[in-house]
Amino acid sequence: MIRIPPEGSNERGRLIAEHKACIESMHGVPGCTILRCATPGDTTDVSGGIHEDHLLNRVLLRMRAQPAKGKLLVICTKVEKEWRIGRASGIRGVPPEFVNDKIYDNEQDPQHDIFLMRLDEFSENDGYPEHYHEGWKRRDDGWAAT
Amino acid sequence: MSWMRLTGYADKFGVHPGDKIKFYVNCDGPGKFDAQLVKMIHGDTNPRGPGVIEHDLDASFNGTHNGQKQTIHSGSYGFVEDKKQFRVDSFTIQCWVWPTTPKTHPKYWKHGAQGLVTKWHQDTGYGIFINEDGCAELRINGEKITTGAPIRDHAWHFLAASYDAQTGEAILYHEPQVVYALDPVIPPVSKKVSGPIKHDGSPVVIAGYTGEHSNDPTAKSSVPSGIVINGHYNGKIDSPRICDRALSRADIETMKQGAQRGLTERRNAGPTGELSKCIVAAWDFSDGINTIVGKDHGPYVFDAQIVNCPTRALTGHNFTGHNFDWKHAPQEYGAIHFHDDDVDDARWEVSFDWDVPEGYESDNYCVKVTTSEGDEDYIPFWVVPRVGEEQSKIAVMIPTISYMAYANEHLANNAGGAELLVYRVPIMQHQNMFLAEHREYGGSIYDTHTDGSGLCLSSRLRPILSIRPQYDHFLMQAPWQYPADLHLIYWLNQMGYKYDIITDEDVNYDGLARIENYNVIITGSHPEHNSGPQLDALHDYTQRGGRLMYMGADAWYWVHSFHPAYDHLGRGIVTEMRRCESGIRTWRADPGEYYHQSTGELGGMWRYRGRYLHSVAGTGMSSEGFDISSYYSRTPESNDPRVAWAFEGIEYDEKLGNFGLVGGGAAGTELDIVDTMLGSPPHTLIVATSAGRHTEGYLLVMEDFGFNQQGLDGTQHPRVRSDIAYHETPNGGACFAFSSIAFCGSLPWNNGDNNISKLVGNVLDRFSQDGPLPDAPEDSVIHRGRADYDPPMNKQRK
Repeated sequence: MIRIPPEGSNERGRLIAEHKACIESMHGVPGCTILRCATPGDTTDVSGGIHEDHLLNRVLLRMRAQPAKGKLLVICTKVEKEWRIGRASGIRGVPPEFVNDKIYDNEQDPQHDIFLMRLDEFSENDGYPEHYHEGWKRRDDGWAAT
Repeated sequence: MSWMRLTGYADKFGVHPGDKIKFYVNCDGPGKFDAQLVKMIHGDTNPRGPGVIEHDLDASFNGTHNGQKQTIHSGSYGFVEDKKQFRVDSFTIQCWVWPTTPKTHPKYWKHGAQGLVTKWHQDTGYGIFINEDGCAELRINGEKITTGAPIRDHAWHFLAASYDAQTGEAILYHEPQVVYALDPVIPPVSKKVSGPIKHDGSPVVIAGYTGEHSNDPTAKSSVPSGIVINGHYNGKIDSPRICDRALSRADIETMKQGAQRGLTERRNAGPTGELSKCIVAAWDFSDGINTIVGKDHGPYVFDAQIVNCPTRALTGHNFTGHNFDWKHAPQEYGAIHFHDDDVDDARWEVSFDWDVPEGYESDNYCVKVTTSEGDEDYIPFWVVPRVGEEQSKIAVMIPTISYMAYANEHLANNAGGAELLVYRVPIMQHQNMFLAEHREYGGSIYDTHTDGSGLCLSSRLRPILSIRPQYDHFLMQAPWQYPADLHLIYWLNQMGYKYDIITDEDVNYDGLARIENYNVIITGSHPEHNSGPQLDALHDYTQRGGRLMYMGADAWYWVHSFHPAYDHLGRGIVTEMRRCESGIRTWRADPGEYYHQSTGELGGMWRYRGRYLHSVAGTGMSSEGFDISSYYSRTPESNDPRVAWAFEGIEYDEKLGNFGLVGGGAAGTELDIVDTMLGSPPHTLIVATSAGRHTEGYLLVMEDFGFNQQGLDGTQHPRVRSDIAYHETPNGGACFAFSSIAFCGSLPWNNGDNNISKLVGNVLDRFSQDGPLPDAPEDSVIHRGRADYDPPMNKQRK
């Protein structure tokens, strides 16, 4: 299992810097990925990010696979103007709730803040025998069923 | 906080000039709302495009209307109205159940007891339930008797309950079909209950119970009107019976066989004549699977009306695993799976209607509803000319079945795996937030029901908040389906083309007649979901000289059928689709549940019905990814005289579509390629391709490989690409496949002045001409293989 780099490590610093650079280059793109646009907002030429940083790629995959309960997501509160971060309840009929009061003026920046929040929330490592619990038998193993 | 206080729908998607269309509006805010007819040109709010474009039009309904709150009473159930035979003194109720959510979270949207077979209302009557703790429960008036044993979810159990009015003894049986080594024994429980059973006018309800008899206006849309059903059950029910005396356990066992009327020496499969006298009702859900009637084979024929279209043609408690088509072994398909979020028809009061004037222009329209407090919603519809009264030589085929398949989807919120698909954190809009709370609006065929089972039926008689302008879908942070197809509509208007609108259901019901008078049919960006009659009509059309412009990708993929039980309400009310052995599946049908309840046909991918996607317009889906889009380069085949006309005004080395409003490029989201082994005609030309330019987020479709492997993504696999392709069809017809869902998002770029616009314009100008297209050059008529493509060898054969 891939390790989430711990707080204060050089690896974590590198991942955060690369993620941020990718997100900033995606401003204006009707879509988003963790790659750098050679020309900001233009996907003609992209590089870096998940294509070149193996650890960033794997850490993001583990984060993306998290089941719905408690999962962070983005909520558009005013079309094309305002976005906020929310958290899914995992209960049908209970909508996501905002996690804080921060309002974003673009749809890309919340991606980076969610990356930072997940770095803090995820255990450094998981998925080894010492982490076993009964949920592993019932698909509650940290990886969403697809 | 309410994310949407104004929602609505119409009784038709497509309406002919001269016909009436009705609109239904829920106004859960101010007392009044305004309605305005608009022609919808462009619905994308992206500031890098032309922005929202709509034109106000005169209509009789324009102006202020009184608003009223309207509610959807979702959740499926069966009911039989009150009859004297149900007003029993003693009884036995029995059924098989396969519950999916016997115990729910306290915050679950319909937390509480679930009714199984009930004639019970506010401590009056009788019935069997699953109580709030997930245990079987018998209710007689206000008395509750439970085994105290939690019912295992997703497993068959036999339940029975009897009450003897003379002795006052009530007994509840809970017998799991499969008992594991360490399961505790669940003995029958009995209790003395002082009678008599009280009765009121409540119906017998299967998979729910009577919540209230109400005069509230919102209760009018319940069925039966004014009686609100609560306690919706999630799971399968098989073979429910009601008898009017307390049966012994041995007689209960015999009664599992159901009513066998007309007993003779040669017909003796069921209870004896003496025992049969106690049968009040013995429902057999294997009879009438393609209906919304639960057949009673008992003496009184108390057929149950099935409300909100639960899923049928599902395996019952006695499925043997030898037959997989319900038509061949209906007796093994006696289960109905009820869901608390099923909805077949909102059944709202009409807010206003409109008689579309004769000769009215065929186009995309919306009723824009607003309030003085800033509420807003749009109700889309299309004016479709009658067959024979076409207004143009060009028809745009709006993929309404696909719109229904995606209707009110909840993936961003409910499916943890959604983020794996899109390679970033999903963004929810206010429509998604409203739906996350209001599960009664139902889900999409991409969703699982609130009980986690696959959702395979979708109705259009409800507000569908994903078919809206100004709606960005989480899959691309950009328009998808309806608002994405407005990119095409904007472009047609901007370029000055006159076009007609037709819908999927028009082609399904009218066949070739619906399309044969057009010179060219233009598809939407993602016509993924199709009925057989529709594909037959398109095949006939292209084979007889028609021209098809396939503007997107991942089309002709899933088998759909319309449920015949709703035909009296209009065309294409409820569509069905099953996610079977392969394909991109957000849920997977269980064994033995691949055949549609609507028509009995095999569901799943058209590919596995022998109708390859690539055979319809030349290309078929090969990969998908949803992070960003890319662009195309021309291939040498674009210079072939058969197709070089399409590139007039475009340099060979131009980057084609490295811009756009969906992912930032023309090649993106879901991508099609040419594959002559999967139905692409052997003479198909690939004129441009996006090969090699896609991200790791793009992955080969699972139906194209046989074992798991590394290297399936856009940075490595050669089949992760989009091919723009052309081929001729007989009698002067042709198909042009643009092969990317993002493709239409490039059309509005720079107000339509761009090389994608130029390419599409060249194709449309040629395809919309009267008469057959010019013959291909004589030397292009040669023998061609499918896998075998060596040109010199083929020329030798000639």
